[in-house]
Amino acid sequence: MPIDISKLSSRHLLEIDACIRCGECLSSCPVYAERREEELNPRGKIQNLKKFIRNQYGLWARIFGPKKLNEEDIIALSEKIFRCTLCGACDIACPVLINPKDLSIATRETMVEMGHYPKALENLKKNLLSDHNISADDNEDRAEWVEDLGEIPEHGFQKDKAEVIYFVGCVSSFFPMVQKIPQNFVQIMVKGGVDFAILGEGEWCCGFPLIGAGMSRELEKLKVHNIDKIKEVGAKSVVFSCPSCYRTWKELYETDVELLHSSHLLEQLVKEKKIPLKELNLTVTYHDPCDLGRNSGVYEPPREVLKMIPGVKLVELENNREKTVCCGGGGNIEMVDPELSAGIAQKKIDEIQNTGTDIIVTSCQQCVRTISTRARKQGIKLKVMDLTEIVMMAMK
Amino acid sequence: MEKTIITYSFFILTVLIFLWGLWFRMSIYLQGSIKGAEGADKWEKFILLFRRASKTFWRDPFWHIKVIIIDVIFHKKLLGQSFYRWLAHTLIVWGIIVIVAVHIIKLLSTFCLAGLSREIPLFSFAHAFETGTFCHFLEFLMSAFGIITLIGCLMSIIRRFFLRPDQLLTEEEDIISIFFILFLVISGFIAQGLLIAIPDIVSAHDYMGGFTENWVNYWMGIQTSLLNKITLIETLRSRPEVFWYVHIIPGLIWFIYLPHSKLLHIFTSSVTVIANKVKE
Repeated sequence: MPIDISKLSSRHLLEIDACIRCGECLSSCPVYAERREEELNPRGKIQNLKKFIRNQYGLWARIFGPKKLNEEDIIALSEKIFRCTLCGACDIACPVLINPKDLSIATRETMVEMGHYPKALENLKKNLLSDHNISADDNEDRAEWVEDLGEIPEHGFQKDKAEVIYFVGCVSSFFPMVQKIPQNFVQIMVKGGVDFAILGEGEWCCGFPLIGAGMSRELEKLKVHNIDKIKEVGAKSVVFSCPSCYRTWKELYETDVELLHSSHLLEQLVKEKKIPLKELNLTVTYHDPCDLGRNSGVYEPPREVLKMIPGVKLVELENNREKTVCCGGGGNIEMVDPELSAGIAQKKIDEIQNTGTDIIVTSCQQCVRTISTRARKQGIKLKVMDLTEIVMMAMK
Repeated sequence: MEKTIITYSFFILTVLIFLWGLWFRMSIYLQGSIKGAEGADKWEKFILLFRRASKTFWRDPFWHIKVIIIDVIFHKKLLGQSFYRWLAHTLIVWGIIVIVAVHIIKLLSTFCLAGLSREIPLFSFAHAFETGTFCHFLEFLMSAFGIITLIGCLMSIIRRFFLRPDQLLTEEEDIISIFFILFLVISGFIAQGLLIAIPDIVSAHDYMGGFTENWVNYWMGIQTSLLNKITLIETLRSRPEVFWYVHIIPGLIWFIYLPHSKLLHIFTSSVTVIANKVKE
């Protein structure tokens, strides 16, 4: 079965030819830093793909006929393609502005069409389409984290009408380790006088995991549902504590409502002095989540918030802003290759420790989970906080 | 005139095969999907892309020209990543651009127009192209940018085969590409030197006449004296077509090879850079 190149865009096919194997992307690739296998870095993946395309559609293939593809080669290609965090660091590194991340997603889609993809992703798709969340939990339990808050209003933040919708996201809703993120964030918003609501079971997964799985075609149903829900509440803004939900809405949801990340709202509330902040005597470092920083261009708001907390000293990581190294939690690799994900997280922890501080602040529940889990397993003393947590700490 | 016809035939054939090669590569890209061109064939997609590109260009031509100069030709991003790589690449790029441009100008002026000037009185003004300052200036440009290309090639060879940074991956294609360019430059110098060393081949040409820069005369003098020492010089005197075999034909083959080699990135990466800058 040949690789059907019509599944790739003309631009992707041109980009494959534009790569001259200079290797500038190698030093930025977290997967390559961990595994050191040529076929796992962006260059190797592109060259592999180029080889397949030339064998099928190149000059020699035109003259002598296409080379027969064997199943094993395609399976091997698929295994490599799905081992990528989709962090986008290679996009930044490429001197001729090729987008290996987008190419990786497009190739995953082609692999899915051909039926060659990790079976764990099949379950993911099933969960998202039937339960509307990534963890196969009952979606009715999406707002269960609210119950752990001390004083809660009768409506439990699920109001019929509100100015702002807080789109919580699957991980923060269902994973106990990071439920403190929405818990802190709603308390901050209450204190800041924000007229907000959550959707509860009405919130469905934004569809981001499907993009990384190469199944973005399945996203439409989720998208339509979520947009309808926002319209029902009549919200003018949607705020996200999950950078991936934020990015998915920004890039794929055609909507007129204002889309904000929690760091935007926090910056606004702190600047307008709507939330009082006490002094904290802390030295912290900040990790830019890939989907918030490099992939959405939001670098300064979280830093501004940290700088506005009295007594907080911010020490930058060696690789910061667009050069930030992924924590290992992206691209669904935690499902496909947990060891690889853990290895990348370890490198992140090493980089954090090199700053001399043991407090890392980030703005993403997945980064908090990935770094915390690795640190805990290795018995490393490291405090991993979401931006909402440190703000909450300063408010008390 | 017979020689002119042969030259043109070869040149036109080369250009046609080169264009076919480019179209062949492009037709692979056009098999991919394009938003808004669902169900369209390759030509329709090509026309659509061309229209979109020209529409975008004319929206802000100065911005596009700036991107082409700064990001494509001067490769600003690469400069920030590695000065050595940038310098080697820039020397080769500029060397090739100028040499190809001068070859085309020479073909049209000193060859085509000068040829016509002997047969059609209207073109008599073009006699000057064979021996005048203009011709000397073109010869000088070729030699100067030949040296620039040569330095770029040597820097690339040193990096690839001696410095060998970890990120480099050398395959046959890389070796062929760099040594092909190196061969063309060196053979170009030899061909140029031979023309000077064996003046009866082009007796009408006074290569240094009217050109006052001493160092240029000196440089050409070294080449001439070295080449005079080669014992094959007499053979070359009687078989001037050797120039064809050592420089012109490989040069034409290089053009034909270009769309099927890594050198295609001259075109493809220019498109990716401009397309991404537009997207930003």
